Amino acid sequence: MSSSRFQRGIGTLLVLAALGIVWAFMLYPAAWIFYSSLQTNEALFSGTFAGFTFANYIKIFNSGFRVFLFNSLVICTAAVLISTFVSVLAAYVFSRKQFRFRRLLFSSVLSGQLFPWIILVTPLFILFSRMGLLNSYPGIIFCYGAIAIPFSVYLLVGYLETIPHSLDEAARIDGATQYQVIWKIVFPIMLPGIVATTTYAFLLCWSEYLLALAFLSDEGMKTLPLGLYSFFGQDAADWGAIMAGSAVTTLPTLVLFLPLQRRLASGLAAGAVKQ
Amino acid sequence: MGHRMKGERRFVVTMLAPIFLILICFYLYPTAFNFYNSLTDLSLLGLRRGGSFIGLGNYVKLLASADFYRVLWNTAIWLTAVSVALRVVLGFGVALLLNSETVRQYRLVTLSRLILLVPWATPPVVAVIVFRWLLDQRLGVVNRMLMGLGIIDLPIAFFGDVHWVWPSVITIIVWNTLPMVSLTFLAALQSLPEELIEAAKVDGATGAQRIRHIILPHLRPTIIVITLLSTFWTFNNFLYVWLTTGGGPGSYTNVIATDIYIKAFIEYHLGFSSAIGVFAALLMAAFALVYLRVVARREFQEIL
Repeated sequence: MSSSRFQRGIGTLLVLAALGIVWAFMLYPAAWIFYSSLQTNEALFSGTFAGFTFANYIKIFNSGFRVFLFNSLVICTAAVLISTFVSVLAAYVFSRKQFRFRRLLFSSVLSGQLFPWIILVTPLFILFSRMGLLNSYPGIIFCYGAIAIPFSVYLLVGYLETIPHSLDEAARIDGATQYQVIWKIVFPIMLPGIVATTTYAFLLCWSEYLLALAFLSDEGMKTLPLGLYSFFGQDAADWGAIMAGSAVTTLPTLVLFLPLQRRLASGLAAGAVKQ
Repeated sequence: MGHRMKGERRFVVTMLAPIFLILICFYLYPTAFNFYNSLTDLSLLGLRRGGSFIGLGNYVKLLASADFYRVLWNTAIWLTAVSVALRVVLGFGVALLLNSETVRQYRLVTLSRLILLVPWATPPVVAVIVFRWLLDQRLGVVNRMLMGLGIIDLPIAFFGDVHWVWPSVITIIVWNTLPMVSLTFLAALQSLPEELIEAAKVDGATGAQRIRHIILPHLRPTIIVITLLSTFWTFNNFLYVWLTTGGGPGSYTNVIATDIYIKAFIEYHLGFSSAIGVFAALLMAAFALVYLRVVARREFQEIL
């Protein structure tokens, strides 16, 4: 009896130890970012603790980081507005209407989720350079809008499919035009799905690096991830400032991610279990 | 009735026009243009002049180059197969751990979910930067710790030494993407009816038997979907390799995405780079077929 209790105690300890290892591996790098962003470089390299300081944050905001932050906000917001708007229109039609080529068109939009963006870099670079769209807001905004579309349609159609068709059909019989039905009935019902979609699209654009690297070379046009990395490349010794920049890049995604992750994880699992 | 049909069609076209306008401009046209460029000797330095038509020359060169096969091997085995296998196996382990009686009993599930959220939400650029510091040869915490413990005498060049470079890159990928896999598996585990496990326990099934005969069959579809999606997303990834090693040392860690970038923007051979792009596009078409048949059809039965 006591030996089985002893065994169970060992089992509990092993489980908790494994959990501790998982926590440490997951948290340590991120904790390191926030901790060292609040330290002076001297304290970091001597390994002593000398209280916390916001000096690194003040320093990066005075040295051009403000511009990166502003660019990221403008580009991502505009791109998300575009991608969500066109995706909502398309998602409604894909979910509610029967028409020729529906399967083909919907399949091709969905396949866009697997599209390797690296293939777009060379041709779009040539086209953009001929049209003067390199280092410009419109070029990168439409690009980001385009890469956010496939996943947005995927999420929105998935959401619409959970709403009974009878709701919007009833309104249709009442004599409302199709556009009125969308605006007054479908849009409000879809709102939670739209919020999740815009959040996801925003995160996608916020951390995008490759297209920004190819199309934005002017210091004044760079987005946060790009600006952060070039900062890292130039001045590899100023770790405190680099970590402050990393923290500024990560915080918004952390905040936006909290309400979203449960839906994404259970959505993937539920979609898979459906027969 | 005919009028109604016409109005209906006009409605569908109006609603789909904006999205397809963007998709054609930013996916279809660039892909076609890329194919055209792959048949020329276009150079980054002669963009205005344009390239001259050389037929399949770039493809012949590509298929004859030993470097290309090395790149393919790196992409398929190191970047994709190893990292996906690790994520799926570890992700399954972490999900089982978080769903275990002990963790639930101590009410640590929610806290663990929150902790897993942090790497998931960390932008890949930031993940690379922090790991490059942790693993730095001179200043990195990991080297200092290993030397302090007397495990190594000389610091390890994690991103410069061919024995360490892939494991280091893969560690970053696993850190950044394991939470998504784990939490998806956890969501699937939580949808498993409790009674099934209880009944199996009453029948005297051991832990291993329960995993094999109840949990794994229940998770099978989720495992398939996650494995496929991770494979597709990792295969064409540019960022992790580019920002850690730039494809080096030499071209030791070069993968398809970095190769396309290097050929175009470092070596200026846009035509040749486009040929590799066409190759990647064909692979993606194959991926898309699998995705549509196995993943999408399950989710959108009404439409597909």
